[in-house]
Amino acid sequence: MSSKTTFIGAVEIGTSKVTALVGEYTGREIVIIGCGECVSRGVIKGSVVDYRAATECTQNALEMAEKDANERIDHVYLAQTGGHLEGFYNEASLNVKAADNMVEMDDIRRVCELAKAKELPLGRMVVHNIRRPFRVDGRLVPTSPENLVGQKLEVGYWTVHGQEQRLADNIHVIRGFNLEVRELVLSSLASGHMVTSMEERQNGVLAIDIGAGTTDFVLYRNGVAHTTGVVAVGGGHFTNDISIGLRLTESQAEKLKLRFGRANIQSRDKSEKVWLDGNFSIGDRQFSRHAIESITAARAWELLEVVKRRLGQSYAAEACAGGIVITGGGAKLPAIAECAAQVFGVQARLGEAPSWVNENLRDPGFHTALGILYYGVSVQSDRATATRRKGGFLRNMTRLFAST
Amino acid sequence: MSKDIHTLPETRSWREIPQQVRPRAMSGEGRRRLTMAVVRALMGACALALVSWGAWEMAAVLRESPDSMPDTAKADRVRSLVLVTDGVLDKNWLAKTLALSPNATLMGLDLENLRQKALDDAQVATAAVVRNFPDTLTVRISERSPVARMMAQSGGDAPKAFMVSRDGVVFAGTGFDAAMVETLPWLDGVRLTRSGKTLAPIEGMRAVSDLLATAKLEAEGLYRTWQVISLARLAADGEIEVHTRDGMKIIFGTKEDYLRQIARLDLLVDESTDPTRPLRSVNLALGSQVPVAYGTASPVLGGAPVSAAGAMEAPPTAAFPGISSPHIDIHL
Repeated sequence: MSSKTTFIGAVEIGTSKVTALVGEYTGREIVIIGCGECVSRGVIKGSVVDYRAATECTQNALEMAEKDANERIDHVYLAQTGGHLEGFYNEASLNVKAADNMVEMDDIRRVCELAKAKELPLGRMVVHNIRRPFRVDGRLVPTSPENLVGQKLEVGYWTVHGQEQRLADNIHVIRGFNLEVRELVLSSLASGHMVTSMEERQNGVLAIDIGAGTTDFVLYRNGVAHTTGVVAVGGGHFTNDISIGLRLTESQAEKLKLRFGRANIQSRDKSEKVWLDGNFSIGDRQFSRHAIESITAARAWELLEVVKRRLGQSYAAEACAGGIVITGGGAKLPAIAECAAQVFGVQARLGEAPSWVNENLRDPGFHTALGILYYGVSVQSDRATATRRKGGFLRNMTRLFAST
Repeated sequence: MSKDIHTLPETRSWREIPQQVRPRAMSGEGRRRLTMAVVRALMGACALALVSWGAWEMAAVLRESPDSMPDTAKADRVRSLVLVTDGVLDKNWLAKTLALSPNATLMGLDLENLRQKALDDAQVATAAVVRNFPDTLTVRISERSPVARMMAQSGGDAPKAFMVSRDGVVFAGTGFDAAMVETLPWLDGVRLTRSGKTLAPIEGMRAVSDLLATAKLEAEGLYRTWQVISLARLAADGEIEVHTRDGMKIIFGTKEDYLRQIARLDLLVDESTDPTRPLRSVNLALGSQVPVAYGTASPVLGGAPVSAAGAMEAPPTAAFPGISSPHIDIHL
């Protein structure tokens, strides 16, 4: 084992379950060596409401993952979701400083700082600053514009921010295990990174992660995340609607949803009945399949409509050639992809983990945790590269003389 | 965009959230991990300190190891002897004591043996012998300083003067200034025994040293007149007997503060201004009651016995009439 090897934990504190993965990171590649899962408690719609309960189940998941990996986690990448997360777009432009109009690193740094500088309301904190491609005199530059010639340099950032207390609560749950949170990763970015290909992201794709308490989405364009969002509605609301509509307990409604729920109405025969348990036990009852499908289909349609509304003008079918990718626990609802295709007017499919992911981790419920590891590692390596580049001796000397 | 980059609003990142959590908000496993982390850090620090110390020691050993020396250094003769001392011993004493052969090489010396040779002289309290390459031998010593002297003889040998240090060690006393030695009082009433090659330390000398030090510091005029200090009654009665040059006997008690006793003596001496009735005996060992005996003026210092006078019977005559140094036999 190399001395640089670190053991990274990826934790998703979801509304229905807490997932923890352990990745062995050698500095160049990451290998998943442990997995732990635990039923979530003390979390509602992605936010911690009972510190002790949330801490206990998170730490159970972490312990399971550590035991599975037979290694101790060094630090954690934590998924962040919840209705408190919001995003906005801010852009900036500046005239290129050099006399020969060649874009320099200093121009890039300044325009980026300008685009990121926007005062947030009190108690809000930035979670992510997602940069959109640069433009030099209106020309799209997917990578770095350094050394390109132009007069005007533009860039925009999609800034995701959240409520300080909610963010702190999630972090403290992990700190309660005496582990450092090294990176906070938006759930939508994590799962979106996992279920979409680079080509799809380049052509435009919308990834929707339907969880139990929240639905996270990310719209990619030109290879980068263009818009993200969180809707505080998830699979739990489907269950709740069945529970109210058919007068059942939550667990009974959940059972029916998993067995008979659909995102479209397939049953034409309104008199077709299904058994609650189907084992002839006392208390077993019959329900109309049509009724169950009607409830779940209506809810699925409504949820996807809400996502579309939240995307607003950012979403355009013609700019979304990659279509819609559905993931998360909600992706198990039959016909959800067809439903999404109808709502968004583009092709839709269920998200699948890349082929190299282990068979045991291919369930949609693991996509976010997997994504956290890969996204977090890629962000960290980018940051490390930038730091190394920034700290070069010659660069520092150049800057010293430039400033005098 | 003409905004100055330094006036941009500051956006707060989630990284500003402090990640410190009170241990009580941690789970049992969290607390265990915290404890283990602290223990690991401490063990790491200890291991680092241990390794550093080991490396330092190793370096020191290698620096002085004969193997690490070039052959030329091993063959170098001792050309210079350096003595570092806090006393009066000099290089001649050192050369005589160590008695190095003219061809002795620095690496061929047995430092422990040389150190022992230096310590064999009881005047030396501590000694350290160090090689300073390429050709210097350095000896660092601390010396004992004398507080009294004594004349002793062994068997039929002629009597010989010795010095006595504060801790009772008896030594020959080399290199001391004769004028300084003259100011030292003589010791009497002591039983000297041999301990190996040297003489055993005198018991109770610390009490005597305290008395002498107090007298020298607080009443130097009186101290200068003290000629003989007798320890004959020290062990049995806790008394120190002092005989002055003018034949007076002063008895000090070891149980009472010396400063107080010397102050009383000073007062008595100051009050006794009558030259026809000089003080012959003062007993300060009885607390606030000070028996005093007066005599008649004697034409010769340390001369004839004094006659009783005053309220008390006169004490026995001066212990050493006519001699300035009492002789002590050394017992084997």
